[in-house]
Amino acid sequence: MSDRLSPPNPDHLEKVTGRTQFITDIEVPGMLHGKVLRSTVPHAMIKSIDVSAALAIPGVVAVLTGADIVGLNHHWGPSLKDRPLIAIDRVRYVGEPVAMVAAENERIAEEALDAIVVDYELLPFVTEAAEALEPGAPLVHGNHEAIKDFYFKGEAKPVAGTNIFQRYAYEQGDVEKAFAESDRCFESKYEFPMVFHYAMEPHCVIASFHGDSLTLWSCGQSPTAVQKVLSRVFDMPLARIRIISPHIGGGFGGKASVKIDPLVAALAWKLRRPVRVCLSISESMLTARRLSATVHVRTGVRNDGTILAKSVRVLMNGGAYADTGPAVAVKAANRAIGPYRIPNLSLESVAVYTNTVPGAAFRSIGGPQAVWATESQMDEIAEALGLNPAEFRNRNLLRRGEHVRADLRPIDVEMGEAMDIAAQEMSRIKALDGDNITYDGTALGISDPGIMPVASVVMRLKIDGSVAVISNSVEIGQGVRGVLRKLASEQLNQPIEAIEVLTPDTAIAPYDWGTGASRSSLMMGLAIEDAARDILSQVAEIAELVFSADPAAVRFCEGGIIFGNEKKTFSELLHTYYGIDSGEIVGVGRVTPYSNGGRLAQAPLFWETAAGQCAIAVDEETGEIKVRHYVSVADVGRVVNRAAAEGQDEGASMMAFGHTLSEELVYQDGQPINATMIDYHVPTIDKAPENFVTVLIESGTGPGPGGMRGMGEGAILPVAPAIANALAAGYGARIRELPLTPERVWRAIREKRGS
Amino acid sequence: MFLAPFKHHRPTELSAVFEALAKYGDEAAVYAGGTELLLALKARVLRYEHLIDLKRVRELAGIKVDGEELVIGALATHHEIANSAVVKQHVPAYAALSEGIANIRVRSAGTLAGNLSFSEPHSDPPSLLAAMGASVTLVSPQARRSVPAAEFIVGEFTTVRNEDELIAEIRIPLTRAGEGYRYLKFGHLERPAVGASAGCIIRGGHTRYRLWLGALGDHPIHAAEVEDAIAGVPVALLPDVLPKLAVSFASKISATSDLHGSADYKQHLASVLMQRALAAACAAASGERVSHA
Ligand SMILES: Cc1cc2nc3c(=O)[nH]c(=O)nc-3n(C[C@H](O)[C@H](O)[C@H](O)COP(=O)(O)OP(=O)(O)OC[C@H]3O[C@@H](n4cnc5c(N)ncnc54)[C@H](O)[C@@H]3O)c2cc1C
Repeated sequence: MSDRLSPPNPDHLEKVTGRTQFITDIEVPGMLHGKVLRSTVPHAMIKSIDVSAALAIPGVVAVLTGADIVGLNHHWGPSLKDRPLIAIDRVRYVGEPVAMVAAENERIAEEALDAIVVDYELLPFVTEAAEALEPGAPLVHGNHEAIKDFYFKGEAKPVAGTNIFQRYAYEQGDVEKAFAESDRCFESKYEFPMVFHYAMEPHCVIASFHGDSLTLWSCGQSPTAVQKVLSRVFDMPLARIRIISPHIGGGFGGKASVKIDPLVAALAWKLRRPVRVCLSISESMLTARRLSATVHVRTGVRNDGTILAKSVRVLMNGGAYADTGPAVAVKAANRAIGPYRIPNLSLESVAVYTNTVPGAAFRSIGGPQAVWATESQMDEIAEALGLNPAEFRNRNLLRRGEHVRADLRPIDVEMGEAMDIAAQEMSRIKALDGDNITYDGTALGISDPGIMPVASVVMRLKIDGSVAVISNSVEIGQGVRGVLRKLASEQLNQPIEAIEVLTPDTAIAPYDWGTGASRSSLMMGLAIEDAARDILSQVAEIAELVFSADPAAVRFCEGGIIFGNEKKTFSELLHTYYGIDSGEIVGVGRVTPYSNGGRLAQAPLFWETAAGQCAIAVDEETGEIKVRHYVSVADVGRVVNRAAAEGQDEGASMMAFGHTLSEELVYQDGQPINATMIDYHVPTIDKAPENFVTVLIESGTGPGPGGMRGMGEGAILPVAPAIANALAAGYGARIRELPLTPERVWRAIREKRGS
Repeated sequence: MFLAPFKHHRPTELSAVFEALAKYGDEAAVYAGGTELLLALKARVLRYEHLIDLKRVRELAGIKVDGEELVIGALATHHEIANSAVVKQHVPAYAALSEGIANIRVRSAGTLAGNLSFSEPHSDPPSLLAAMGASVTLVSPQARRSVPAAEFIVGEFTTVRNEDELIAEIRIPLTRAGEGYRYLKFGHLERPAVGASAGCIIRGGHTRYRLWLGALGDHPIHAAEVEDAIAGVPVALLPDVLPKLAVSFASKISATSDLHGSADYKQHLASVLMQRALAAACAAASGERVSHA
């Protein structure tokens, strides 16, 4: 069977036959069911909560409110300790958990929610970032403790007495001077909407206190972060907290760091019984969303198309709690640079609290917001200078090895190559299709992912040659278990059938930072490489001891080892060594900033990049954009599992079609008015382009095994600007606000015609 | 969200449905596919103690031709209608509309009768049924009456159906030679923002037209003024007169701005869709093979 037909992923059959166990399928003895009562108002003091009628309903076991948690360390957060486990005296957005009912079943719990009476004293609210910055705007928070290096490296920099919870700035060269020396300066503002992650599986957690231990079945992408937050909240040692991560039905950042785990654990803590909480999609929409952004870009160029200076100012709407927003804001600034030589660069990013759903990390955090702005402007500049957009980009492109920013790792791919391939593929598709009516648009995106070179894995080589791979990399649909299986098989030179990848469980799996930022395959790949070295050195030592082998000559072969012309099975080796026909070798693999001679310490670990080219046709009377062809190109270093890798690339692109064409969480009078599956419209398969090509370049230049780098996020970057660029090129309509709804497109084209 | 507890009834005869309705009054509701009703119950915007499932009532089932009319039983789903050979042959435009409703899950459970009874404004069928001169047959324990589809829906979630009446069937005149109909819709969300239905009837050298709009008002809107102005105008000359009339009519429709779009954009869509639908209907009437996809 070809590589494509046999993905080394035993999960697929289980999934398509409906046998995969997700958290919602897990039944813990004595388990109760929890439901969340949510705030119906954007900003208010809680005057009282009357739960007596709810408690009187047969089958209701307990109701948790803010009054219950005063004895705990009740505030938490990955960067700022700004969030209560459950609202205490105040609510800050529509959807914020105010009370929780635990009952014999979900139906009773839900009935009981209706019986709880909350008396609010309304406060003025703010939902727009720009308004939140104005003097006299309602303040969403008082001061909170910033916790340094808690989850992300560094710390958030809130500004006391304002709604600002993060400020970030970077400067190189002399931007103002360079603007003065430029032939032309271009300045525009771009808007990116609030969008929802829309993982197929809503947030679901089971929490259980037993004795002085806590076990959680968590949908989180970062089990060790969940463990750490819970340890602080309940003042419990890390080792007594166990996080199990079964199959997760997608996350995209909506389950990164820590989300509903502390809330569910608080209910279990009150109950002293296991409790399961499974949100609906609408509730997940009220749990996390992408930070919306206003991006001001100013670029100074010479008439020949050389960029002299660029200044980017990003304002992000971070919602009611900072969550992972502080990191998103930093990344949005960095990801605005692009793969270009910019001698004078000024980046600034500000994230503010508003009375809306908390903003959070979302696939290529901050990237789509930034790249939308800067890559749209690249085409605007090219047009004004009378240059072909590809040629203008080419003039300023960094070559491999050149610095994006003086303090960051030099770019490790050839973006020009990716852009050329995209153009060639598009010409080929159009020729085959006989298409001469569509207009093309191109965009490039680069991002600095793979954060935190801190990971570990345990590999247990059994006497029969089978291997258990134990890590905290969460299988979230991306196929990481299949990748780890293949990498372990390669590193140990054992058949793929011999490798078993276990369900992540912090009780047995060693520390890892988390699953996100395109890092797991790469980071665990490196850890597996290290663990295989560890196992090899142990078996070599044993072979020397029991067979007088030259340890330096020992190599793995299928089912055992080989040294010189001698071959021994693992069973022969270990039986002789242990004296019984049982036992195992435990290998530990570690990745730290000091690994590989310190080469992993510099940020980013690698550059994740994408070149996208689209071909669109627009119905000028309705304004509907049809993306007929799309080409996505990325240098991923090495493809480990082609079907899964292409799936990630296509998935990221299709996801971007959503924020490009239809998705936006809309607020009116402080209320999210379309946070339901019917009113919030994600692209369906009939919106997929007729021709969709993914080209994965295998340059072998990444830092991972076989030269791999991470992937899965990059392809989301170029889509929106590529489509907007095609629209401008073909129809003369430049739109700087997403999504490009038919109405906006129609208006823009009409305005253009009118002028 | 969960349904509040209710008692479930599964009658097999119409008389038993009426008995249950008489007995439980306001506390009972009938349903067929449940695609609208169950959502409303889950969202707790409606609440009933008794739910009466109509799906086993044989008198309400089936799709057949009766004389000059196609008869669609109240239990026929959009999917059945879209794929019925009889519908495709005799009222092809309506079969095409059915195929474009919602998604396959909704189509295979949801019924036309349920759609009309619920009368959510952002729906496809009502304007075309009006344009085709269809009628809705209502039955009560005492009587049976027929209401023109054009008059059935009177407002948002409101129809002329009385409390004690059920929709028994929908009757659509068969599309004859020299006639053509077409429904077109547009929207970027789950349900249509605007729909337009057009008919072209060529009889003995005289041409008449039908034009209705759907989804943008709270009931189907008859473009009577445009119909009158173009009555008798040969198909070939329509492009000379229609655009101005369509724009002018559309600009007078009272539309509201919402998630589907601003009022003026919807008015514009109405004029575009009216023209396109009418052109397609004319092509169908003159026997041109047009794809209804
Ligand atoms: C996600 C989604 C998308 C949709 N998109 C579209 C779309 O694009 N276009 C469109 O036109 N529609 C759309 N719909 C609506 C769909 O057409 C209707 O939900 C469906 O036709 C209703 O039929 P049902 O049998 O399920 O009705 P039910 O939910 O069973 O009943 C609906 C109402 O009708 C009443 N009722 C049912 N049968 C009768 C009867 N015989 N006599 C009297 N009253 C009766 C019930 O009491 C209830 O009040 C969509 C629906 C959903 C859920």
